[in-house]
Amino acid sequence: MMQTLSFACNPPTPLNHHQFRCRAAVQSLSPPTRNPASLYEVLRIKRSASSIEIKTAYRSLAKLYHPDATSLSSSSSSSSSSDGRNFMEIHNAYETLSDPAARALYDLSLGFGIGIGIGIGIEVGDQFCYSVGRRPTRRWETDQCW
Amino acid sequence: MSQQAYTVASDSETTGGEKSSSFPEIAIGVDIGTSQCSVAVWNGSEVELLKNIRNQKIMQSYVSFKDEVPTGGVSSEPTHEHEILSGSAIFNMKRLIGRVDTDPVVHATKSLPFLVQTLDIGVRPFIAALVSNAWRSTTPEEVLAIFLVELRAMAEFQLRRPVQNVVLTIPVSFSRFQLSRIERACAMAGLHVLRLMPEPTAVALLYAQQQQHTVHENMGSGSEKMSLIFNMGAGYCDVAVCATAGGVSQIKALSGAAIGGEDLLQNLMRHLLPEYDSIFSGHRLDVSKSMAALRVATQNAIHMLSSQTSFDIDVDLGNGIRLTKILDRKEFEDVNTIVFDQCEDLVRQCLNDAKVEVDDLSDIILVGGCSLIPRVRDLIKSICKREKLYEGMNPLEAAVRGAALEGAVASGISDPFGNLDLLTIQATPLSIGIQASGNNFIPIITKNTTVPARKDLVFTTVHDNQTESLIVVYEGDETNIQKNHLLGYFKLSGIPPLPKGVPEINVCMDIDASNVLRVLVGIVIPGNQQPVTPIMEVRMPTIDDGHGWCAEALNRTYGSTMDLITVQKKA
Repeated sequence: MMQTLSFACNPPTPLNHHQFRCRAAVQSLSPPTRNPASLYEVLRIKRSASSIEIKTAYRSLAKLYHPDATSLSSSSSSSSSSDGRNFMEIHNAYETLSDPAARALYDLSLGFGIGIGIGIGIEVGDQFCYSVGRRPTRRWETDQCW
Repeated sequence: MSQQAYTVASDSETTGGEKSSSFPEIAIGVDIGTSQCSVAVWNGSEVELLKNIRNQKIMQSYVSFKDEVPTGGVSSEPTHEHEILSGSAIFNMKRLIGRVDTDPVVHATKSLPFLVQTLDIGVRPFIAALVSNAWRSTTPEEVLAIFLVELRAMAEFQLRRPVQNVVLTIPVSFSRFQLSRIERACAMAGLHVLRLMPEPTAVALLYAQQQQHTVHENMGSGSEKMSLIFNMGAGYCDVAVCATAGGVSQIKALSGAAIGGEDLLQNLMRHLLPEYDSIFSGHRLDVSKSMAALRVATQNAIHMLSSQTSFDIDVDLGNGIRLTKILDRKEFEDVNTIVFDQCEDLVRQCLNDAKVEVDDLSDIILVGGCSLIPRVRDLIKSICKREKLYEGMNPLEAAVRGAALEGAVASGISDPFGNLDLLTIQATPLSIGIQASGNNFIPIITKNTTVPARKDLVFTTVHDNQTESLIVVYEGDETNIQKNHLLGYFKLSGIPPLPKGVPEINVCMDIDASNVLRVLVGIVIPGNQQPVTPIMEVRMPTIDDGHGWCAEALNRTYGSTMDLITVQKKA
């Protein structure tokens, strides 16, 4: 019985709105409703990318998707990125992949795939979920503070 | 760019309807320092500092109340240096705005010539200017607004167009409540705040632009450069570590405190005149001239000691007090050891938070008025183990130039030569969290988190059948929650009566691109997928005055009856 609550900011804001609404949504993570692209796909790099390539990719994507910078690329990309969600995902991917230890762990989780071997799957899975900006999945039974 | 709604509609002259013009207005950059201020704007090809009618680029930050209509340092010029110090003018407003009367920084302001009265109960201090032998009350927001009106008029005159959008630089250590006071002052002056930029991050943007130039010139590697930015003015000291490449500067860490030239000055005045506090307490009219004379002489001595190793002070303070002394640089430095030690702590903390070794730093950038003080320069050089500091910037203009660049970038202006192909990726200067598990501060968004950001944490009840809980939001990094800044509070009701520890209360904090903080709270019962009550969504700060006593009152009234506790993560 895995249960989590997370809030999502949507929908994408039209530019002329004075204040975009933050709408909360409840999602269940079991089964994963949205299987996110791999962190490498988020940064649009190869699995073998060097740390310099990762940084370069992060910066160029930041220039495209950071809410402050969307004006720079208004011709090439739509305004849908102005709420910062894409950038947060990009930044989370960068945080994991630019840290050698976290990247190694993440690579391991990709190698095993999700759902193979409960023992490893949970631990690695937690790391995985965390790195894409989700709270780790938990069993509520074990979370009581006795 | 999503335009942010004002928090104070009544004070605002501006409405969204005016924004319909097809040509984007370039936001101006404004740096209002504790003692000096300046305005700059992107003129289409570069950043230009605007001058006032007396041809000054850097003006004094003060507002004089001696005439019917208050006037500030932008338009008027004091007939005499001492006029600002006669009690009829308010200055150092940046050290007062958004602070409560229990704040030590407010107490340090009490020795200034104008009136700062504290009752030490956690409300805003009473401030007043001396006008024809009467104390005329005002507020820091009002003073700042009067000043901003003058700056706006000056900019409109120079640019020959209406000015509405501004990017303002702010100290790193400002809380969100203080930022809301700055926004209110801007709204009172008819200005719309596009961005509030911590000062060193504005400098980082200027640095990013300069680096892009050098990379273009030698077709360089484009490799990432780590830099340390140290900014110290009259009121505040800020440090940032940032990684820069390709016009993007990512803020790795920020640190800051309310220490600056004003502290150096006051320490030295007390050293030169040990009876300082007893003579000048009580704002007696007969000593105000003495105080002004001492302040001017001491300020002058500090300036001179930046270029020479000793200085002859000889000043007649009136009332039979004459001060003569040969002050050497060493003595000045010894008197201010505490201030310099604090600077050192800020730099070390910032490097530590950024997880950057000094050997990895490419450039060390010193800006702000106090960056000219030899002791400050030596200190930073020794921490960073460097002989040379970055020399590409005017230390007094760097922050405002950076703000003007941000103003152009955030207004959606592009430059055919790529000079505005810039981006600063900001980080939170302070942690934000709630009170839980008794009197503890539980951070949800930690310090130095990249923004925009969204983080959440799960809490649960501490009593059986607890149906309500208080969500009290603080900002800061002190373990003692009372020392952090209260941002707001609200009650969460409708928790189903269940044994303690069963309901899950998810507290989510969201900071968007405009740096607006929202706190979202939902209640979930394990097994259910939907929250049991509507989710609470609260834009912070909600408090509209520096009510330091609010938290105390809540505590007294409710105790731990509505407490929450963090859900322990099991390995």
